[in-house]
Amino acid sequence: MIDQVIAAALTLSVPLVLAALGGAVHRQAGVVNIGLEGQMLVGALLGALVSGATRSWELGVLAGAGAGGAVGWLMSVTITRLRANEIIAGLGFNTVVLGVIGYWLRASQDVSGTLQVEGLERLPTWVVPGVADVPVLGALVSGKSPLFWLAVVLVGACAWTLDGTRWGLRVRAVGASPVASASLGLRTRGLQDSAGTVAGVLAGLGGASLSLGAVGLFNENMTAGRGFVAMAAFYFGRARPLPTALACLLFGTFDAIQARLQIGGGYSASLIQTLPYVAVVVVLALTGVRSSRRRARAAA
Amino acid sequence: MSAPHLDRWRPVATGVGRALVPVLLAFVVGGVVLAVTGQNPLEIYRLLLVEAFGGPSRVDATLAATTPLLFTAVAAAFAYRAGVFTIGAEGSFTLGGLAAAVVGAHVGGLPAVAAVTVSLLAACAAGVLVAVVPAVLRARWQVDEVVTTLMFNFIVAGVAGWAVQAFFQERGQANSATAYVADSARLEPFFPPDLTNAGLVIALLLVTGYTFWFRRTALGFEFRAVGATPRFAVAQGLRTRTVVVVALLGAGLAAGLGGGAHALGIVHRYTGGFSASFGFTGIAIALLARFNPVGMVVGAVLFGALNAAGSTIQLFVNLPIQLVDILQGTVMIFAVVQFVLPRLPSRQRAVPEAVVA
Repeated sequence: MIDQVIAAALTLSVPLVLAALGGAVHRQAGVVNIGLEGQMLVGALLGALVSGATRSWELGVLAGAGAGGAVGWLMSVTITRLRANEIIAGLGFNTVVLGVIGYWLRASQDVSGTLQVEGLERLPTWVVPGVADVPVLGALVSGKSPLFWLAVVLVGACAWTLDGTRWGLRVRAVGASPVASASLGLRTRGLQDSAGTVAGVLAGLGGASLSLGAVGLFNENMTAGRGFVAMAAFYFGRARPLPTALACLLFGTFDAIQARLQIGGGYSASLIQTLPYVAVVVVLALTGVRSSRRRARAAA
Repeated sequence: MSAPHLDRWRPVATGVGRALVPVLLAFVVGGVVLAVTGQNPLEIYRLLLVEAFGGPSRVDATLAATTPLLFTAVAAAFAYRAGVFTIGAEGSFTLGGLAAAVVGAHVGGLPAVAAVTVSLLAACAAGVLVAVVPAVLRARWQVDEVVTTLMFNFIVAGVAGWAVQAFFQERGQANSATAYVADSARLEPFFPPDLTNAGLVIALLLVTGYTFWFRRTALGFEFRAVGATPRFAVAQGLRTRTVVVVALLGAGLAAGLGGGAHALGIVHRYTGGFSASFGFTGIAIALLARFNPVGMVVGAVLFGALNAAGSTIQLFVNLPIQLVDILQGTVMIFAVVQFVLPRLPSRQRAVPEAVVA
């Protein structure tokens, strides 16, 4: 039972971690990315279509990442070059993406909602010999998809990129103060666009992990608010990769437990699903109180 | 000596242009999508126009679809004018609808005017309730209201779903829905069996009240001053905290009232998926109209027409209703885009700053 919950929690966390890491990088560049939901959905669709057409999950994953990145770049350009408000642009992109995909499914594929892709190759699961049957440890490391391991690696890679590379330093500088960065000669909008593209790529990967995962099909509701939970996660982790990923793990665990509790009955799924969002409000409130105390002390 | 009457009309002209360009661009984008899928865009747009305004029953459907959008547009504009950027209208609308539906089901004994009033008051209270926490956090500790109000949309959706299942579920219903409201609590249509009802009158009164508030009241003036130049307003001793709280709670009240009018006038109960993104569409309308009351009415009719026509047109052309989403989302994006290399007025700069903080 505990093994099943652990395995389910880890699997459910993968798309969240991928998208939330992207959101964290974008946040470090000074942009709140509300479009993760749409970028995940694009990644899920293109991942499924290309995997079906080429019968290769690798190409499907790449296509999902590319498609997410393209939408992420487009949204970023709208915000940086055309000076659109990031919140409205994000909500608008989500609406358009959902609309275009839903329209295309019905007009060209003649399906409503769910697309079974012929020849789709799902993500493989890697069984680790020796520990697969060990309790807990087996559930932790065995039977995972390549994207699970990619997510694990990316947590460290993102942290290192933001802390230790020139690009990461510049991205954080732009996020801290666009005006000061520009006066130092940084190409602020270009840096923000690159961070926005990274966010889209990672969200696209998260989407591909949904459509190429256990079930192996595309559904226009398959992201089901995960983009917004990912947003909650990077707020929770204050846009630092490791805390952000841990927040995703927490939300993934909620999700896994809730799925089990629902069978037992008595706990409302809709209430449990609000927990990530309540957590964000609490975190924002706490940080707000703390920083206003600091301001008051500085003024005194 | 330049002609003063020309200067007077210039803001009107730029206002109209700013609203028209996004709409035209949206129709171009929609046209491309239509053409790619083998439809003739001009023919589809002509059909949309006919379905939206071609005859009394179609105008009626359009006005009925316009009504909820007027409420949410006023809600957004009311706060944005004060420089407060809420996206919580969706949550207030939802909880307002649930409150009105629940109260409306239990006031059958009261005369119609009292029953409607009590139900709508409950809706207003529920709408305000949704905004209380973000308002306190923003006014007291400067916590970014954009994210908190967005989060409250999801929290409200979950809580409403739970409340219906746990307490208000009507027996024998497969999906989650409350009981129908009492006959006396209904906002009856003007011309049965049409849809347009007294909710439209309430909405127009709200728009009038919004206009009066900003043009004629002292607090309305403080709103505009705080929204235009926050730091100068503080230096002038204006009550910025009061303004922030009133802006958020007032937006919650307007959206909650809208949810109540929608529950009593159209749906007659609360069901899952009660708000069809009315809160977000209202934001788009308010931005498109740059908070101008006449512009908001025009914008709401435009989006209402799209919704009403889109849902019938798919019956006789093989046209998915998602076309409406494409058009609405594109309008949203282009409504906030600045094409000309802009000399940014301070009011527009105030909004992104609040967002990034």
